[in-house]
Amino acid sequence: MAATSMAAALAASLPAPSAAPAPAAPTYEAIPASMSKVIDIEAEIPLTFVQLDGMVVTKILKHAREAPSTTAHGLLLGLDLDGVLEVSNSFPLPHHGGDEDDRSSKSVARYQASMLRSLKEVQADDSVVGFYQATSLGAFFNQTLVDTQAIHQDKLRHGGVVIVHDLSQTARGNASFRAFRLTAAFLSAYKKSNFSTTSLVNHSLTFSSILEEVPLKIRTNPLLSSFINTLTQPSQSSVLGSDGELGAGTTGSTIPPSFARLDYGTAGLTRNLEQIVEAVDNYRTEEGNLAYLSRQIARERAKADNYVAKRKEENATRVAQGLAPLPEEDVARLFKIPAEPSRLESMLLLGQIDAYGKSLAGTASTGLVKMYAAKAGSGRD
Amino acid sequence: MPLGPSSSAIHVQSNAPGSTPNTIRVPTSVTVHPVALFSILDHYLRRTDAQDRVIGTLLGTRTETEVEVRSSFAVLHSETSEQVAVDMEYHRTMYELHHKVNPKEVIVGWYSTGSNLNTYSALIQNFYSQETAPHQAIHLAVNTGVEEGEQAGVKAYVSSPVGVFPKPENCVFVPVPVELRFHDAERSGIDLLTTTASASNSTSNQPVSDLEIMEQSIQTVLQMLDRVLGYVQAVLAGEKKGDTAIGRYLMDTLGASTDDLEKSGFNASLQDTLMISYLANLVRSQAEVASRLALAAAS
Repeated sequence: MAATSMAAALAASLPAPSAAPAPAAPTYEAIPASMSKVIDIEAEIPLTFVQLDGMVVTKILKHAREAPSTTAHGLLLGLDLDGVLEVSNSFPLPHHGGDEDDRSSKSVARYQASMLRSLKEVQADDSVVGFYQATSLGAFFNQTLVDTQAIHQDKLRHGGVVIVHDLSQTARGNASFRAFRLTAAFLSAYKKSNFSTTSLVNHSLTFSSILEEVPLKIRTNPLLSSFINTLTQPSQSSVLGSDGELGAGTTGSTIPPSFARLDYGTAGLTRNLEQIVEAVDNYRTEEGNLAYLSRQIARERAKADNYVAKRKEENATRVAQGLAPLPEEDVARLFKIPAEPSRLESMLLLGQIDAYGKSLAGTASTGLVKMYAAKAGSGRD
Repeated sequence: MPLGPSSSAIHVQSNAPGSTPNTIRVPTSVTVHPVALFSILDHYLRRTDAQDRVIGTLLGTRTETEVEVRSSFAVLHSETSEQVAVDMEYHRTMYELHHKVNPKEVIVGWYSTGSNLNTYSALIQNFYSQETAPHQAIHLAVNTGVEEGEQAGVKAYVSSPVGVFPKPENCVFVPVPVELRFHDAERSGIDLLTTTASASNSTSNQPVSDLEIMEQSIQTVLQMLDRVLGYVQAVLAGEKKGDTAIGRYLMDTLGASTDDLEKSGFNASLQDTLMISYLANLVRSQAEVASRLALAAAS
């Protein structure tokens, strides 16, 4: 079975240049009749939702907070059963710099393989079902995410999912996890690596149709539930515990209730605005590049057209004079018309701007509610 | 935030003035991150039938007197009535893997489920003490609470040799206070899990909008105010004897000044917030229009 996990690891390793070896055919035990409906070996039952285990929630939270950059990412492990993708474990991937040389990608693949092997030995799930990515202020659109997910969607069962965790929203008091996968339209454009304007129009792609969201649920297993409930139980020895009625709050419990989300802080707003300005700037630069390239294309094309027209004229006069016409096919050789630029980058940037705007609007609206709540609390409205 | 049932143990720290500054001090408190705890529970769930308890390695950071357990991983081991075996090679491999991602975390000790300490515990403790030398290894005993009559909880121990000629299989486990600790930013994640755990089917849907979360919080605050009001009225009516400590707390909490808000602060802030809301929506519609225009350009 080690071969299977190895194959899965290689398949999941993002830059894996060579095609992953075909997984060794596992031997199936007879499936009980009660389960035969829900287990699909061929992955035919479509996914209805993703179920995230409580432990994975804390693992992602911890990794996302501690990672040196905001782009913490790791692999999700689990199983799919009757259309539910159960994510039961995860592990972080080592952080590597922007330049992905061959050596570091190889070491990541090695890391994955040996991690999966090790997890298997202690009866943990060892099949990769996707990856997670931390983000801040909702802007998770970037090239790496799209590339990785495209590889996964090709190689994993059910295509895998990417779970996006928003760090800034969590800090504001609303832990947020969302599951995504690439849409079929985007994938088909991506496979041809053709993001010219016509291709975009054909697939009717905008930034909002790159990813589709898969419903996500959080689940805690019974053992974890009971343990957490014990932790939130108030202990008897608190100061106010003597008064049964008023002390019935959860004073003294290990996890007391928190009201930090009612804080009226606007610390994140400035950062958010800065991010928007930055993203808009990037977008402008990118648009400028695109415009420059399309002007260049137009210029080259006009030159080529001119040349062809001239050649035709010349040929017409030569035919009239009774001479053999000059060949016309060397146009393509003489004039290099550049390929139409990819609009993927600008599309992703627009997606980022939109996400920043959305997060800003969210902060503003909760801010309004908090302000009115505080005003009502002051008692003189 | 203590973890587990309260104990009557007094934690005495020997702080003899004569001790040389070079000696490593015994940790006086242990904090545990939820990740480590939940991983242990998960490992316990996935044990084989033959296993009575599971053990694993604790990773974390240590200061002079405090050990912070940040994560944990499972280690293979087998126990019979004659012998105990721990897969040390596995332990090393896993540690190296973890070290690659999180170089700050080092081995601080080991965990086991169940709360009974025996000779094997002492032997394993001896092994881990070699791993953590020159510091002392800590032992975390996690009671999962599945056995009847036992309450779930966590206890931490350090070991100290016993006997005239110390032997590895003999040691005294000295309890150390243990607490649950997580970063403030992770708070909402823990809240999410607690609400999930108390839901009837142990699942909750995501994503929840910010406003819904806010509504829940405000509802809770309203409930608390109602409870306080009920109590105060009962005291005023003479039905109940007032507690001066509670009265003091209430005064401190409810007497907060809102002067700033009542002057021009509210309106100024309101304008700012509305402005930002407007700007955000403007940006979003611009982005949407731009993406549509890109599609329309060729047709």
